[in-house]
Amino acid sequence: MESRTAWAFLAPSLVLIALFRIAPLIWGAQLSLTDARGITPGDYVGLANYRELASDPAFQDSMSNTILLIATLPVWVCFPLLLAILIHQGVPGGRFYRATYFLPAILSSVIVGSIFNTLLRRDGAVNALLKLAGIAPVDWLGSSSTALISLIVVQLWATFGMSLLIFLAGLSTVPQDMIEAATLDGAKLRHMIWHIIIPTLRPIIEFVAVVTTIGILTSMFGLIYVLTAGGPGTSTTLPEFLIWLELGKLNRPGYAAAISMVLFALMAGLAWAQIRIMQRNADV
Amino acid sequence: MKYLLGTALALMTSAAMAQELTVWDWKSGDPAAASYIEAAKTAFEAAHPGVTVNFVMQPNDQYYTLLGTALSSGAGPDVFLMNGGAQAKARFDALTDLSAEAKGLAGLAEFSDGATVHALPITIQGFVVYYNKTLYADAGLDPEKPPTTWEELKAACEAIKAKGSAPCFAMGNKEGYGAEFFVSALAASMLTAEEQAAFAEGKLAWSSPKMKAILQAFVDTQTWGWYGEGANSTAKFMDEYEMFMRGEGANTIGLLSDVAHWKQFGEMMGPETIGAFRHPAPDAVTLAADGGPMLPLAGGIGYGVNKAGAHVDLATDLVKTLADAGPIAVFTKDAGILPANPAVDTSGLSSPTLTTILPWTLGAAPMAHANASAAELEALHQQSQLLLNGETTVDAAAAALDEVQAKAH
Amino acid sequence: MFKRLLSLPMAVIAFTCLYPLFFTLNNALKTNKEYILDRFGLVSSPTFENFVQAWTRSRLSEYFLNSVTATVGACLLLILLSSMAGFALAILRFPLRRLVFIAILASLMIPVQVVLVPFYKTIIAFGLLNTRLGLILSYTAFFLPFSIYLMTSFYAGLPRELTEAARIDGCSYPQIWWHVIFPLGKPAMITLGILNALYCWNDVLISLLVLQNERTLMVGIAALRGEYTTNVPLLCAGIVLAALPIVALYLIFQRQIVNGIATGAVKG
Repeated sequence: MESRTAWAFLAPSLVLIALFRIAPLIWGAQLSLTDARGITPGDYVGLANYRELASDPAFQDSMSNTILLIATLPVWVCFPLLLAILIHQGVPGGRFYRATYFLPAILSSVIVGSIFNTLLRRDGAVNALLKLAGIAPVDWLGSSSTALISLIVVQLWATFGMSLLIFLAGLSTVPQDMIEAATLDGAKLRHMIWHIIIPTLRPIIEFVAVVTTIGILTSMFGLIYVLTAGGPGTSTTLPEFLIWLELGKLNRPGYAAAISMVLFALMAGLAWAQIRIMQRNADV
Repeated sequence: MKYLLGTALALMTSAAMAQELTVWDWKSGDPAAASYIEAAKTAFEAAHPGVTVNFVMQPNDQYYTLLGTALSSGAGPDVFLMNGGAQAKARFDALTDLSAEAKGLAGLAEFSDGATVHALPITIQGFVVYYNKTLYADAGLDPEKPPTTWEELKAACEAIKAKGSAPCFAMGNKEGYGAEFFVSALAASMLTAEEQAAFAEGKLAWSSPKMKAILQAFVDTQTWGWYGEGANSTAKFMDEYEMFMRGEGANTIGLLSDVAHWKQFGEMMGPETIGAFRHPAPDAVTLAADGGPMLPLAGGIGYGVNKAGAHVDLATDLVKTLADAGPIAVFTKDAGILPANPAVDTSGLSSPTLTTILPWTLGAAPMAHANASAAELEALHQQSQLLLNGETTVDAAAAALDEVQAKAH
Repeated sequence: MFKRLLSLPMAVIAFTCLYPLFFTLNNALKTNKEYILDRFGLVSSPTFENFVQAWTRSRLSEYFLNSVTATVGACLLLILLSSMAGFALAILRFPLRRLVFIAILASLMIPVQVVLVPFYKTIIAFGLLNTRLGLILSYTAFFLPFSIYLMTSFYAGLPRELTEAARIDGCSYPQIWWHVIFPLGKPAMITLGILNALYCWNDVLISLLVLQNERTLMVGIAALRGEYTTNVPLLCAGIVLAALPIVALYLIFQRQIVNGIATGAVKG
């Protein structure tokens, strides 16, 4: 009975997902084994695309950029979580913050890009501020050492509102009476975060971690396109941008599919690891 | 099965909308192109009663991704616009032969596979240096005598640098276009016609002395302080040109058609402030008839016919109309383009700068980068940024480019 | 003391979030020339020309209805389907539960670019090209894995006693879902509604493929960006017009998220 109900409840979703997501994935896996170029379907070439990837310097660079990006993941989760807890705990002006923090998420990446383009220019406002502090100007988006970090900070700023919103929804499941006693006292707050909020919120934190991982690996294109175009050199080329390049400008769907498959495997591996880590911590 | 389904659907859709042609582009929503599109649509529909033309404008950044998706699903538009050179070449397999319709048009090389023309060019594109006469005068230079040789250009940049109010060139290389334009501008005078042809076929390596000299000149000009700081974070379109228009750069390598050209600069800065010259090059071997540097010139954008479309004949007629002198004359006037169709009267374009430029377009050089493969251009974008940042050497960059070139040809 | 200490950084962040709003509005009132010459300065002589232009030239008025239909349709469908699936995955116990959950999770990770061609073929094969239903179903399919995962995570955080109590009272599973679980999901559903509305409303790529003859608002806005130039003031005006419904939606519903279930159901 229970299982029949479950399947009935899942059926419409599963049909849609199988049709529009899983089937195309299998098709993409097939495509990645061909040398398709332009509209020519291409012949089966086995793992040749994957072998080419292994020796493609642009792909290698995109992978090391990805590792750096993933290393910043804890910030992407903790920053909105902390803000959500503070707002939920009734920090003064919390309602105002709740309303404003979501605003960047609404704006298009073109606008966000235009603003930060100008702020981060070598003769831009950020450098003007640094100059006041006596620090030499930095070409934030134009030097290989700072471009990726600048991009990450802008994207974090532009999207943390969404995670914040999800955490706020999750916090509504934390039993109110447990929280009431706690005030905004530093020590008590820390105790409460560790012993009440985080255990209750575990599935939601796990959710945000997984979704953020996917988000930073698949939806930074808009900002990359406007802010750095993958440069300087390949220092902000992420796999997603490379897929766009190979699929559009270089017109090689087979090769692009191979990069997509690697990206898919990478995300799946990360998500699995995240869920494992979260569940182990929960058992402790 | 998939194919069967696709064929059946193609038949069904063709029967249902027998008299509709779809055109994809990234231009038809642009106000400067609106009257041109309208004129071509009206002319075509008047000549073919019962046929309607539907122009679908796609966002530029996703254009080629969408086009590839639609073409490989067998559901592409009847007619589509493309950039000349690498982008057009990558799509020849989807296009019909338009050689018969192409007679008399300029800029065909970028849309041709040997003798076969696959798309009709609309505009001619080329690079000249636009300069700010006020800044030249401020630096003690004669604003009516722009540089004609590499030594003169070096001297001019020294003078402008000494004055210190603006860098010699406004430079934007965020997408790597700064380097792309520079390479073509110098190659026009530094390569012979044979070398240009060899480069197009991938036979003139980037590590050959000539190509390396061009890369070296790019690095040298940076070392000499021609460009402002932060070129790699400045977009050529339009940060660089906006800087030039604000007077934050004495020169800029600009276009002949569309934007960043005599018309736009003239309107923003006043026609009397703007002048143009051909980019000089070190060790020039090919010279123009007047002894000056060569102007790099190429077919700009062009329309082609999807050979999988349901109405190839009608579509061919439409492309002919789009490339016809009547509608193009409207485009020429509104957008300030150089038409690929020589039958278009350009005398109505009154700009002192254009008057200077037009004679140079006769007997011009090919645009080297437009003949390179898309993969080489991407590699050039990356390497040029590393060169500007001093993170690689000319030798290493040339070697990296050689590798991509060898693979692409 | 601690409160004061926190207020400063939080206020700074709030300021940075408000600034782009000011930037967008301020520049929407400028001419393109004024913007090029001075990006950050306060507009000197405001003009509403950009709003008029954006509304007419990019045919936003026509596209508005398409966007509303697709967004509302997809959001309602998403909330319904994901609540059902979340209930099945988080509360019910059945064989292959983990496998189904993993499959859904995996489908969340498929990069959209690689599925474009097969997705497009599917749309054509079902005759959904150029239909609003096609767009609604596409959005639903694309954002469903995310929605199901969120609902599952949210329901997994609810105390189990709730369903067990209802079960003892003799409710069937569909009844439990409809009377207990569905209403309890309100905070997550509102969150989902806001996020999915944002995704659908801002989507460009999917709608470019599915609706080619008619377009959605964001495609109209994306087309305001030219090959070379972006008329930023015009774009700003377009974005102000397009973002208004989402901002309104957010401001109306965000209170509900926090006040959601904490008050009533759980205690009762």
